[in-house]
Amino acid sequence: MAAVTATGAANFDDFDRSKRLQGEITKRYFQSLMAPRSNGQKIGYGFVMANPIEFFQAFDIIPFYPEITSLNISYRGGSPPLIALAEEAGYSTDACGYVKMGVAAAMDGTSTAIGKLPRPDVLLLTYSGCQIYIHWWEQLHYQTGAPILTIDVPYVREYDGHVEPHDVRYVASQLEEAIPLMEGASGKRFDENRFREIMRLSAEAWDLWGQVIEMGKLRPSPMDAYFEAIYYMAPITIIRGTQEAVDFYRFLLEELKERASHGVGPTPREDYRLVFEGVPNYPFFKKFWNLFRGYNARGVAATYPKVAGMIDTRSFRLNPDKPFESLAEYMIHAYCNWNMPMRTRLLEQYVKDYQADGVVIHSIKSCRSFSMGEGDMREHLAIDLDIPTLLIESDHVDPRYYSEAQLRNRVDAFFETLALRKRS
Amino acid sequence: MNGTADLFARSAEDSYATFESVKAWKKATGRPVLGYFPVYFPSEIAHAMGFLPVSLLGASGRVGLDMATAHTQSFVCSISRSVFQLSLQGNLDVMDVLLFSNICDVARNLSGITKRNLGDRRIEYLHYPINNTSAHAVPYLREEYRRLADILAGVTHHPLEPEALRRSMELYNRKRALQEQLTAFRRARPGLLPYTEYYNVLRAGGMLPVEEYLPALESYLAELPSREGKPKDGVKVMVLGNFCEQPPVMLMKSIEDAGCFILHDEALVGERWLGLADLTAADPLESLARGYVQNLEPMTVRFHPSVNKQKALLDRARTQGVEGVVFATPKFCEPALYDYMIGKPALEKANLPYLHIEYEESASSFEHARTMVETFTESILFD
Repeated sequence: MAAVTATGAANFDDFDRSKRLQGEITKRYFQSLMAPRSNGQKIGYGFVMANPIEFFQAFDIIPFYPEITSLNISYRGGSPPLIALAEEAGYSTDACGYVKMGVAAAMDGTSTAIGKLPRPDVLLLTYSGCQIYIHWWEQLHYQTGAPILTIDVPYVREYDGHVEPHDVRYVASQLEEAIPLMEGASGKRFDENRFREIMRLSAEAWDLWGQVIEMGKLRPSPMDAYFEAIYYMAPITIIRGTQEAVDFYRFLLEELKERASHGVGPTPREDYRLVFEGVPNYPFFKKFWNLFRGYNARGVAATYPKVAGMIDTRSFRLNPDKPFESLAEYMIHAYCNWNMPMRTRLLEQYVKDYQADGVVIHSIKSCRSFSMGEGDMREHLAIDLDIPTLLIESDHVDPRYYSEAQLRNRVDAFFETLALRKRS
Repeated sequence: MNGTADLFARSAEDSYATFESVKAWKKATGRPVLGYFPVYFPSEIAHAMGFLPVSLLGASGRVGLDMATAHTQSFVCSISRSVFQLSLQGNLDVMDVLLFSNICDVARNLSGITKRNLGDRRIEYLHYPINNTSAHAVPYLREEYRRLADILAGVTHHPLEPEALRRSMELYNRKRALQEQLTAFRRARPGLLPYTEYYNVLRAGGMLPVEEYLPALESYLAELPSREGKPKDGVKVMVLGNFCEQPPVMLMKSIEDAGCFILHDEALVGERWLGLADLTAADPLESLARGYVQNLEPMTVRFHPSVNKQKALLDRARTQGVEGVVFATPKFCEPALYDYMIGKPALEKANLPYLHIEYEESASSFEHARTMVETFTESILFD
């Protein structure tokens, strides 16, 4: 699969085909969103965290994730005009950038860096991990008139991580209760056999994705489990439940094994192994990555790629024989739906399991669901556990909050600390 | 009148940071205390089990925020930081249980970091349903309330007794009814009850034992109609956004001083509006759950699929003869900022003037806000 030169040096591009494949998948997905629809197929807006894409697919609804389109627009430098449009309409600078971009993109006549986005036929409100999800869909509801279909997902509020049986029952019951509503929204009858088959394919993709993200345990890690995983996580959200998603993750897993066998990785060497917490900065994604890549640092574990589902903690497993219950468990175990002590313990566990040198917390202004309490995480990790921990702030989509010089100063100082520790 | 008004004023002041009367109550009764973060809590359950439920409404500048600042970001609201500061520096030690709920991401994560820092205390979290049109919402909330009762029984070592709950529900229904009478008086005779005094009455109700509060409020209400005062001109407004973090009372006074009658606002709205229970129902716990789920009052932090917030806003404005709306939103409070964006286009369409101001609970200068409100009222008066 991968090329190694006569001198034994591997060409990294030959071990980086999965990213290109992911790019093609995402491009096709965007094309499907924007293609004219003559068959009456509906667009269902959904969220990344706890999204029951299998439910959309069972009704042949095209799932649309404004978080995914917003991050892609931001990655291409297209967030400022959308944010400005929303703020001109009255949205505060303190509001979430995703919401502002989503609202602006749905305004009449708005075009984005990835094209004119489709308006919603139905807004599936899966309330898990983010309170702003509710407010975002309310904005779009009043703006577009699209109906909101609600699945309420209780927070994981027991600090030992156990979930109340009535929570699972409640979510599963709402999914079943939503079937006639989804039939009405889509014009399609619910086919339970098809739903089970989608769940089977989805479970297979999840298993493979779980194996992928645990590759960071290898020394050296064959991948950056934060910056590269952000590319790799797209299919688990947008096309999971299909054979294409299964094939993608099988291909990716093989590629990473090849990398490992050839000693190839995303940096020339692996000098530092880091755990990352928080959402990345998308407008300056590569510059942000370079702050760490320049030190031959690799992310070996990260929380953000788990927002689509906490697969590595074995918190759920989709089961075609118990489709509603297992989907409910998956929806409950979204990363930000975990309480803060659980999130903090997970970081602590990652440091141990992945033999990390330190933790980087990237706190973003837009998302208080992620950020509120990250200062407390730092206090615990750095003071109580003596784990080198860097807390930096910017935003995921708003370039006004990204200060390269300030971030670089903090990152440089962090690596000085890590270097001193390694020498001592 | 002076006696009860003084009681309410003293209690309101005590409820910011000192909680001296709570300490005295605990010492005198030997019973436990439960502190709850806004916006709503079924006090009836705690009361029926012997607790004193106390509303944690923020310290409003009465404590520094140095300890809280180390643990929280600069871009989170002041109430979360001041309540966290109170818990870290020991002001809430009198409370046996601290309780949070799903009103926003900040409050939700606050519960966890409070737990991590006060590990030996009971820090609990209730999930209130947002899918309130679902047939499963009431049974779910009943289960949550049952879970809460079990947690509290871990403190008291006594289970929740249905009859005790029913008696507590009666008391709290009465409290809501009396507070509604108070608000109705202000609406009917604007200018006779200054907002600062009105607010103290409401705020005191979040801390005083209900058995003490009810007779005091009844006595206060009995004397209110005898108040005399010259009719004053004023623009009738509703203030929206103060449902959780409390504006400094001087800000609300500034709004009144700038020529407004505040006919409606959202101070302690969860306590006043939610939870009204049917006392005749066979299962009081289910009745309490139903009182939350089936209530159709629009609330910023409580999504209810069948409530049209724009229509409810315009209906309330028309019913109360409101001439303008002041959106007073706490700095960094996203829920309030989003509801502002829902209300704004509806008001524009209805040609009803509105103003947006921001506040922090610890603010001490209100000249800018007063100037804005004066300009706003003049624009209405001379329109």
